[in-house]
Amino acid sequence: MKAKRALALVPVLALALAGCGGSSGGGNAGGGGATDADCAKAEVLCVGLVTDTGKVDDKSFNQSAWEGVQAAVKELGGVSKYVETTDTKDYGNNIKQFTDKKYDAIVTVGFLMADATAAAAKGSPDVKFIGVDQAQPEKDAPANYTSLVFPEDQAGYAAGVLAAKLTKTGKLAQVLGLQIPPVEKFAKGFEAGAKSVKSDIQVTAVYHPAGTNAFTDPVWGGNEAKKALAQGADVVFGAGGKTGNGALAEVAKASGAGTSVFCIGVDTDQWNTVPEAQKCLVTSAMKNITLGVTDLVKQVKAGSIKGGYFNGTTGLADYHDLKGAVPADVQTAVADVVKGLADGSLKTGVTL
Amino acid sequence: MERLWEKNRVAVILSAVVIVGMYVFWFMGKARAESMLTSAWGFAVPLILAALVGVVGERSGVVNIGIEGQMLISAFAAFFGAALTGSLIIGVLLGLGAGMLLGGFLAWTAVKLRTDQIIAGVVINIAATGITSFFYKQGQTLPGVFPRWEIPLLKDLPLVGKVFFANGPFALATILIVIVLNYLLFRTRWGLRTRAIGEYPQAADTAGIDVIRMRLVNVTLAGLLAGAAGAFLSMEASSTFERGITADRGFLALAIMIFGAWKPLQAAAAALFFGFAQAIASQLQADKVVDIPQQLINTLPYVLTLIVLAVAAGRVRAPAAEGVPFVKGQG
Repeated sequence: MKAKRALALVPVLALALAGCGGSSGGGNAGGGGATDADCAKAEVLCVGLVTDTGKVDDKSFNQSAWEGVQAAVKELGGVSKYVETTDTKDYGNNIKQFTDKKYDAIVTVGFLMADATAAAAKGSPDVKFIGVDQAQPEKDAPANYTSLVFPEDQAGYAAGVLAAKLTKTGKLAQVLGLQIPPVEKFAKGFEAGAKSVKSDIQVTAVYHPAGTNAFTDPVWGGNEAKKALAQGADVVFGAGGKTGNGALAEVAKASGAGTSVFCIGVDTDQWNTVPEAQKCLVTSAMKNITLGVTDLVKQVKAGSIKGGYFNGTTGLADYHDLKGAVPADVQTAVADVVKGLADGSLKTGVTL
Repeated sequence: MERLWEKNRVAVILSAVVIVGMYVFWFMGKARAESMLTSAWGFAVPLILAALVGVVGERSGVVNIGIEGQMLISAFAAFFGAALTGSLIIGVLLGLGAGMLLGGFLAWTAVKLRTDQIIAGVVINIAATGITSFFYKQGQTLPGVFPRWEIPLLKDLPLVGKVFFANGPFALATILIVIVLNYLLFRTRWGLRTRAIGEYPQAADTAGIDVIRMRLVNVTLAGLLAGAAGAFLSMEASSTFERGITADRGFLALAIMIFGAWKPLQAAAAALFFGFAQAIASQLQADKVVDIPQQLINTLPYVLTLIVLAVAAGRVRAPAAEGVPFVKGQG
């Protein structure tokens, strides 16, 4: 009998452990002169940031957005604070910490937080909400909710141009996450960019078989990258969260990584986020999150911010240690492409 | 020859399909054939190791559906062990140890306490998901690159040489493990006894075999294989740990175990076949030779599996005493 009772404890314990993920993250004070007790006053600009699950110093989306907030607040004066989310269930509560204190603007990071942000925006119509990389609700989008989105096709296009100028075999490969519009835009932009350099270049693309783990399957990504390399591809574009990172890390293991074989990251400067890929990582097709967030916070202060989508800019990350592997004329040509895309003189021609 | 066919129909058919398929690709292009087989093998390795955990367990009469959880914890322990201690070897040892520990847990609850084996397995899976998600930390990296070994002579074989004999340690070890385990299970005293306690434990008991002890040892040691599968995922196949990195491979492995008729060699053939179907699916997608949405193409491995199961299998039979706790003197 005793044994049976001990046994009953086991699943209970397991469930208790499984439930531990629900605990909420604490608030941390950011910089700023005034305290957030003054936020109710109209003249004090208060900006709160809620991270997606993860830390504010993740060297990725969270950190870029937080740097954007800090840059704006440093220039305009005011208070900035962040809350780190540890569990997706806490999005709403974390946003509430700021709305309760009458913050002027709340930045939420990552597409997973779109629903929670839209709901909070409806509940607090006086507060401006800035959602980084989020889709607006299909109907009844609140007017105080602005989504910062990026033309992924432009980032992909610039990366494609660079890849086409680097390849010796004339074969490029893309290892992609789930087949959804933002990923497709990256992929089609990449292909268009590559073909604009050499029209007969071979560009393959594989999307992760649709599943719940399409963005978190580094094993699949690595395996696909290995296959692409064996078929002669010498530049691999990994666009699909951790799945793409798996591809980058695999390319870094290949012989000739950084000299004859290269990889290109996505979203943020992956030199920082995927250090194991540094050997092959020539650049990343980057969303300029910091710049976009700074712009929008300034618009909040000026009172000119509008609801709906706000288009940020994209670019390529620094070449870091692989600068030597990219010839100077290629660097100039790619920089021209990035500039042309940003000022609208160059179009990617990508439609979904 | 006839006996080989009778005994190993599934394995023979699957191997034939894979080999014929490979040669088709060989004619289309050497690099292509090699890359497809590499991809198939990369996909198959963790499935084979995980399926063998199931084979050893069920042959001894213990159903293990906690393989997924064992792999997940092992992948976690291996990666973070290596990242935090700065030693790949310590990481591998921790991964193997974690797999064995959970194997021991399953053995203890299922054999000693005679709990429902399905529930014990589910507990492992739930606990593994919870523990690894909670303690997951971002921004860790392995202290070095996992080595890649080449077996002299064998690596120069056409087609198969580079694929199977120039690889990471786990992938190389898998080949050896399959062959050795197949030998052990069907040609040694240990194998005969293991099969006996899985088929008719009362008879084995009468013959003087300590059923309880043997089940405990077998299920616990099989955990080592789950540990290897986990460490392979987070250290060799990728160099990172991700929540849910096992991606249901532990469950797919159970299907492969059944598909492979609870025999190591056949299970390996089945896993390779499945990996090959996966490689074809991704190749069709990459080459754009057919204009079919990738979501449909990617069902190919599962459709092929259904067809092969219907044609080739049909006669597989599970060990008779699997899932039934053994009580001395009863039955």
